[in-house]
Amino acid sequence: MSNPLHKKHHFIERSILSALAFLKDATTSEEYANRKGFLQSLDPRFKTISFFSFLVTAVSLKSAVLISFLYGFCLILVLLSSIPVRHFLVRTLLFIPLFSLFIVLPTVFSAMTPGDPVWSFHVAGITGIITRPGVDGAVLFVVRIATSVSLVVLLSLSTRHSELLKVLRLFGVPQIFVLTVSMCYRYLYLFATMVENIFTAIKSRVGVVSHQRHGQKVVAWNIANTWNRTTQMSEEVYMAMLSRGYTGEPRLLSKFHATPKDWLWLLCAIVICAFLFYRGHTL
Amino acid sequence: MSDIIFEVKDVHYSYLGKFPALSGVNMTIRSGEKIAVIGANGTGKSTLLQLLDGLIFPDRGRVTAFGERLLEHSQDNEKAAHRFRQRVGLVFQNADIQLFCPSVLEDIAFGPLQFGVAEDEVNRRILEVAEVLDIQHLLDRVPHQLSIGEKRRVAIASVLAIDPDVYLFDEPTAGLDPLTVRHIIDFIVNANQRGKTIITATHDLHIIGEIADTVYVFGWNKSIVSGGSSESVLNDRSLLETNNLIHMHRHHHDGREHVHPHLPLEPHD
Repeated sequence: MSNPLHKKHHFIERSILSALAFLKDATTSEEYANRKGFLQSLDPRFKTISFFSFLVTAVSLKSAVLISFLYGFCLILVLLSSIPVRHFLVRTLLFIPLFSLFIVLPTVFSAMTPGDPVWSFHVAGITGIITRPGVDGAVLFVVRIATSVSLVVLLSLSTRHSELLKVLRLFGVPQIFVLTVSMCYRYLYLFATMVENIFTAIKSRVGVVSHQRHGQKVVAWNIANTWNRTTQMSEEVYMAMLSRGYTGEPRLLSKFHATPKDWLWLLCAIVICAFLFYRGHTL
Repeated sequence: MSDIIFEVKDVHYSYLGKFPALSGVNMTIRSGEKIAVIGANGTGKSTLLQLLDGLIFPDRGRVTAFGERLLEHSQDNEKAAHRFRQRVGLVFQNADIQLFCPSVLEDIAFGPLQFGVAEDEVNRRILEVAEVLDIQHLLDRVPHQLSIGEKRRVAIASVLAIDPDVYLFDEPTAGLDPLTVRHIIDFIVNANQRGKTIITATHDLHIIGEIADTVYVFGWNKSIVSGGSSESVLNDRSLLETNNLIHMHRHHHDGREHVHPHLPLEPHD
């Protein structure tokens, strides 16, 4: 039988290790971005602009049907890009849209959104009335969230993180900022591994990082130790940059090359967005 | 003399002003030389390389490179700094420090791009160094996903792309498998044959015969305790023992235990 106290003792350790595992997974999950597929073959700049347009369209439309069309298109792109649909659906539909459903749930009732009743019920002497405008509003909200999340996830799954960061240059973000963020991202994995190793080392010596008070001490000590190491490493990395000619104004490789296919894709994206806006306006 | 590249005169350096790292180091390095700096951990080898690369500056004494004194404020001048850094390249001991870009390709391109090399030329150099170091398949990879040996080769490629006259290697073979060690030794020897000056800090005595003609031994006093040809230094057993560079080695031969000092050049029964 599992001991609840034992579980509580492991809380800190499990939380930290889970957070580290998530961090490492997030920084290394470029498996799909490296596959051969339709979205992967597009220039990241064009891809980002087109997805940004889709996102603005999804947020602006007031028709759940039209937004669903965009969601359907998103799923077709998933299929064309060699990304497993199940993995994509689990990643996009499980948490955020479900969470948004809970948020929006109270608005379906007449108390918050008056209108034509669709269904009513009695629980413990209280009458609940669900209204049509309430349901429509909730559906629109959830569909819009699901579509927006799906678009963002699809963009991040099909594009290497380093390329996504470089696309920031398109929006006028200074090169030094892009370089700094890229470096932070690159070293996140290293520090996550370092903290994980520290925990393994502690476990190998004292068994478990178990007792809550002791666990808190270990975490505090770990934070201080990691801080010291990061400071030292940042100085060394700066030296390595200086050694290779860095003088405060970084120059980075711009290896993007647009092809006719990218322009065609952008045109398609504009046409789809324009069509949806037109339909949304005439509905 | 005109072929002198580095002149180190009575150099003292300490970290935070209280932890001495170098005490009175003197050495002269000429163009095309193959030099090894050996010594136990903490004797100041890496500090010396950082001084030679103009990353840190002596508390006392002077370091002259290519006839000009290396001073902190001279590195503030972009042109002067670039002129120096295009001629001297340091391969750091920890490849994770050297590989700070999000991809291998960008790491190799970083140096040449800072020196204003045109992108077409940078792309040509990337392909060239990738072929030399057999890392073509790694170009699109993320540095943290590579093995230690791959990281070390990419770190060397990032310096090779600059094509400096002087290569400074800090423990280039530490922790690597034998085949990767072989590749790195071959690279160093080839670079020297192409006229490059090589300065390697190491405590791996087995590679010194190949990567160095001249060896300087750093002692616990954070200074050079001896220097000479690689053969003479490696055959000086008491010097190596005193400076913690050899140890007694215990192993089995034909079913019997056998103990002898671990010397790189000395054959044993």
